[in-house]
Amino acid sequence: MPEPILEVRGLVKHYPLTRGILLRKQIGAVKAVDGVDFHLDRGETLGIVGESGCGKSTVAKMLVNLERPTAGEIRYKGEDITRLSGKALKAVRRNIQMVFQDPYTSLNPRMTVGDIIGEAYDIHPEAAPKGDRRRRVRELLDVVGLNPEYLNRYPHQFSGGQRQRIGIARGLALRPEIIVADEPVSALDVSVQAQVINLLDRLQKEFDLSYVFIAHDLSIVRHISDRVGVMYLGRIVETGTDTEIYDHPTHPYTQALLSAVPVPDPEAREDRERIILAGDVPSPTNIPSGCRFRTRCWKARERCALEVPALAVPAAFRDEGGPAAHDSACHFAEEKRVVPAEGSGGHGGGPG
Amino acid sequence: MLLEVRDLHVEFHTRDGVARAVNGVSYGVDAGETLAVLGESGSGKSVTAQTVMGILDTPPGRITGGEVLFEGRDLLKLKEEQRRKVRGAEMAMIFQDALSSLNPVLTVGDQLGEMFTVHRGMSRKDARARAVELMDRVRIPGARERVKQYPHQFSGGMRQRIMIAMAMALEPKLIIADEPTTALDVTVQAQVMELLAELQRELRMGLILITHDLGVVADVADRIAVMYAGRIVETAPVHDIYQAPAHPYTRGLLESIPRLDHKGRELYAIKGLPPNLTRIPSGCPFHPRCPMARDVCRTDVPPLYEVSPRRGSACHFFRECLDA
Repeated sequence: MPEPILEVRGLVKHYPLTRGILLRKQIGAVKAVDGVDFHLDRGETLGIVGESGCGKSTVAKMLVNLERPTAGEIRYKGEDITRLSGKALKAVRRNIQMVFQDPYTSLNPRMTVGDIIGEAYDIHPEAAPKGDRRRRVRELLDVVGLNPEYLNRYPHQFSGGQRQRIGIARGLALRPEIIVADEPVSALDVSVQAQVINLLDRLQKEFDLSYVFIAHDLSIVRHISDRVGVMYLGRIVETGTDTEIYDHPTHPYTQALLSAVPVPDPEAREDRERIILAGDVPSPTNIPSGCRFRTRCWKARERCALEVPALAVPAAFRDEGGPAAHDSACHFAEEKRVVPAEGSGGHGGGPG
Repeated sequence: MLLEVRDLHVEFHTRDGVARAVNGVSYGVDAGETLAVLGESGSGKSVTAQTVMGILDTPPGRITGGEVLFEGRDLLKLKEEQRRKVRGAEMAMIFQDALSSLNPVLTVGDQLGEMFTVHRGMSRKDARARAVELMDRVRIPGARERVKQYPHQFSGGMRQRIMIAMAMALEPKLIIADEPTTALDVTVQAQVMELLAELQRELRMGLILITHDLGVVADVADRIAVMYAGRIVETAPVHDIYQAPAHPYTRGLLESIPRLDHKGRELYAIKGLPPNLTRIPSGCPFHPRCPMARDVCRTDVPPLYEVSPRRGSACHFFRECLDA
């Protein structure tokens, strides 16, 4: 098996809560990320889904070194990048770039598009010789579907979708191998969203990119991902290929999450089973003992409060094989289909 | 008809010229019915709703034509004083962002109770008791204690429940919900939509649901009106539109969303961008982005053709679109 391009082990990020001004005493911690493991193979897309506050954006920030992990390893081609600093860190960062959610606040309004994209070459001068930079920027604008003549315009002269393309061009400037995209299309209108998703798809093939794609929209994640990890309260609770997760989920949280997504098909309205979860997500300062989902789980029993379920193939499916046999952190994992079967009515066919 | 909007026109005066936000919108809602108004940003869906509700800022907005008939009465002809009696008591609105719609320095009990002290002339004590009842009704646990808390002490889903409670307080006949669940997580969205649908059934209210989410529409709506550039481009019962859209824009929207139930190949993307409302294209406003556009589309504004007795489409070639 080839070595994964990125491997994350036991990743933890705790933000300390302190009291007192002179004598700062730690009285607790916000456990934003609390033990996450995954790997990313070359050329593949790993989708990470979860609701707000589950820690998915904190994971993204740690991958690109905008946050330092409290514990754990992030291995890029076998090398733990959390311990790097100085030159060695800078060299690695060139290869892992980020695309942000909000195309309005992530572009400096006082810089031209050419400067925004070209800034990468000021930081990493070895990536492009000085005289060649404008040509490179023009090329990048063309690659993401913008007119190369827009070089001297400012961000406010562009629509939301176009700005997101600028953000993508900036991410591509240094020819990275990995792109971490944190909710890259959630601020866009439906018709523009499709354009940007198709662009990301095309760029992946063209530049042999590996994506970590973070989003809360389960339909988009399915569309773009080869494998999916479902996060809840700082941990991945279930992970597998898109078919394994969407058509054969075994963790109750994944099942509830999928069943809550409205499907654009009114025929599915009556016969679809909805799992409505009770209550809200617990605070990450006070994570429940044992299984962290147990306070909202309809299957919870005594064992769930005592024992932390490991993220592994559940014993019940271990011998059977098949699509239900994938990693799921539940003591009582059971397969349950909650997404209506494909082609059960609704709309099909190509555009007119 | 409980509410009927007829040929409504609204424009805004901006530095770049006149933005024509609503250009002849007509729709209606019956008691107990849910009408979904679907559109992208800038389609005029929220401006229409604000005009119906009487909360449009004028200026910069200006209503240049049309009628808003509520139980037969034209609301646009009422004086502000009379209008205020309709608002809250007969029709109410739920907004997208509950945190910025609630007053941060008043307890939720005070804000809910205000509905009763202002509109019903109740004492503060009675109003407080009604506030607790309402919070129970929208299933906020521990209502008796939480009535004394401030909005920031509630989660997003709970705040949206408070907004719903406030809208329901005087048992209005019509509720307008503008993207009520867009800011919420999916599991919470499901809870809130279920609550809203249940209360609507119980009280037999008309509901106008403004949204951009085709999934939510399929879940709860009876009828749909699709808006583009300030016009209704297609209106139909919910089942018909998902079976076979009669307008290329609706078709494009349905094709461009990724599906939960299968992986799919490349997404269909409507080319280009929604129009600038100060420079709406001639003829059919969708023609620059339309795969079916012909010469007539550039010159003639399509009327809302009758597709069947309960369906309308503003496309010169709706038959072709249906057959496609």
